[in-house]
Amino acid sequence: MAAVLIAILSLTVLGIPLVLAVDRNASPLRLLGLAFLYGTGAIYFVLLALSVLHIRWSLLSVTIAALLCGGQALLPVLGRRHGGQARVPVLHVHVFDLAALIAPAALACYATIAPLWEWDFWAIWGLKARVFLEAGGIDWRFLESRWNTFAHPDYPLLVPFAYDFAALVGGGWSDRWLGLLFVAWALAFLLVARDLAALETTPVKAALIVFALSWLAVSRYVGLAEGALVAFIGAGVFFVRRALLANDDAAWRHGAILLGLAACTKNEGLAMLASVAIAIAIVDVRSLRRLWPAAAIALPWLVLRALHDLPTDVVSGSLALRFAARASEAGAIFRLLIANLHDPWLWAALLLGLLLIPRRRERFVLLAVTFQILFYIGAYFVTPHDPAWHIATSWPRLTMQIVAPLAYAVMVQLAHAEARSEQP
Amino acid sequence: MRRALSLAAFAAIVVASIDPILLRFPFYRRAALAPVFERYADRMWLPYAAFLRGVREHTTNGQTIAVLVPTLDWDRGYSYAYYRASYFLAGREVLPLADEARRVHPENLQRAQFVASWRAAIPRGTVVWSGDGGVLVRR
Repeated sequence: MAAVLIAILSLTVLGIPLVLAVDRNASPLRLLGLAFLYGTGAIYFVLLALSVLHIRWSLLSVTIAALLCGGQALLPVLGRRHGGQARVPVLHVHVFDLAALIAPAALACYATIAPLWEWDFWAIWGLKARVFLEAGGIDWRFLESRWNTFAHPDYPLLVPFAYDFAALVGGGWSDRWLGLLFVAWALAFLLVARDLAALETTPVKAALIVFALSWLAVSRYVGLAEGALVAFIGAGVFFVRRALLANDDAAWRHGAILLGLAACTKNEGLAMLASVAIAIAIVDVRSLRRLWPAAAIALPWLVLRALHDLPTDVVSGSLALRFAARASEAGAIFRLLIANLHDPWLWAALLLGLLLIPRRRERFVLLAVTFQILFYIGAYFVTPHDPAWHIATSWPRLTMQIVAPLAYAVMVQLAHAEARSEQP
Repeated sequence: MRRALSLAAFAAIVVASIDPILLRFPFYRRAALAPVFERYADRMWLPYAAFLRGVREHTTNGQTIAVLVPTLDWDRGYSYAYYRASYFLAGREVLPLADEARRVHPENLQRAQFVASWRAAIPRGTVVWSGDGGVLVRR
């Protein structure tokens, strides 16, 4: 356990100068939450760069590269700090905020009860991490092998690399306590959400919003990339929303970086980046260029996987033929989607809330979530797998990935509506 | 009326977001539940994981290992056996003897330096190690 806790602490410390380089006025909550998210992103690039440069991973080589990375970010921050005191927003916390710790505490109990047990952990995410650890870098032979397509060689590597970093700190592979990383991702996301909610509503309502989000941030699919993806997608969309509503430069930078890291986490993160880009193009096309850091962050893995010709199962073969065949089964596919929806009561409550809020103000979030859902549904119409199996095994997880941004937007607007109606 | 509806919708989202399964988890006895989760991945073939650990101890990185289990049917156990072996034997090259299209691949048996045979026929070669219901054979 100590190795994973030290890894989490190290990633957080690594992330602090990176956050300050992007946003010197970051509040303590924002700084702490983003530090872990940026730290896992930084270690992803460190391990990727060492692999590309054929430098074998070791605790020493990774530490030196990480210190260089953090040090580069720290220099301009120190220079600016010297010039004057930064303005840090005052933090108003409420006793209700403690309630937001219940879900992460419950996840900590669940995720650490045994070595990670999920099929997708030991057949995809954990498998790749373990193979790469043995190879001292990305094992391209393994990814390119025709026998290993089950491990989804095209999937981005941020989560396996986080496992590898913990293994390097621990001196060898162990899947016993890796579940703690998912508690850290959830807590990081909640700190960011609390910081942003406080900018829009009262401390009590912000605490209640974050309490609701705390349950949406904790994924019971421990060991899969879902927990990390919820954090990166959620925080990224929150920041872009904030940037659009308040013309906040720092929020633009955070939003773009976090969405780029979502694209480094899972293919759905890449789809979310596309969904956000389309939504921004509709809401305010001139702001689209501000997403460029997201594209830059996502690009290296896309180039590497294209160079190594790593296949993506959903888009293999003829999409048009499969779509034509499935179009006649549309009714059955939609019935399966409804039957396998993650937490239908929550979606019903969100739809009720949507009817009561000024939807135009939340156009960006609604459009981004809608396009993402359309991407997901489109994938089921072209999947080479049996759609019933594919939907049953993925749709509950996919709908969980995008519910947090929607819940946040609806709850903030409901809080506004309640406050407005309170006024005489 | 609108205020009451907004409050009701806000409260409904808060309540509906709670995961009752996860909420109950801290109140369970960990010691009693831990073995259930430890066995979950290998619940169909419990000693198989222990066998793979033994195979790992008796092989080194870079060696090629084919996996032989009671079935070559991909959907009835071979996929599990092959994926699980890939995880436990990371660093070695694990070769399947069947695939999801239900094709058999005897060429992988020819290519392999070792055959890890669990509760299945013992292939020709030198037995390097046996235990937990299986044998490791060098070809």
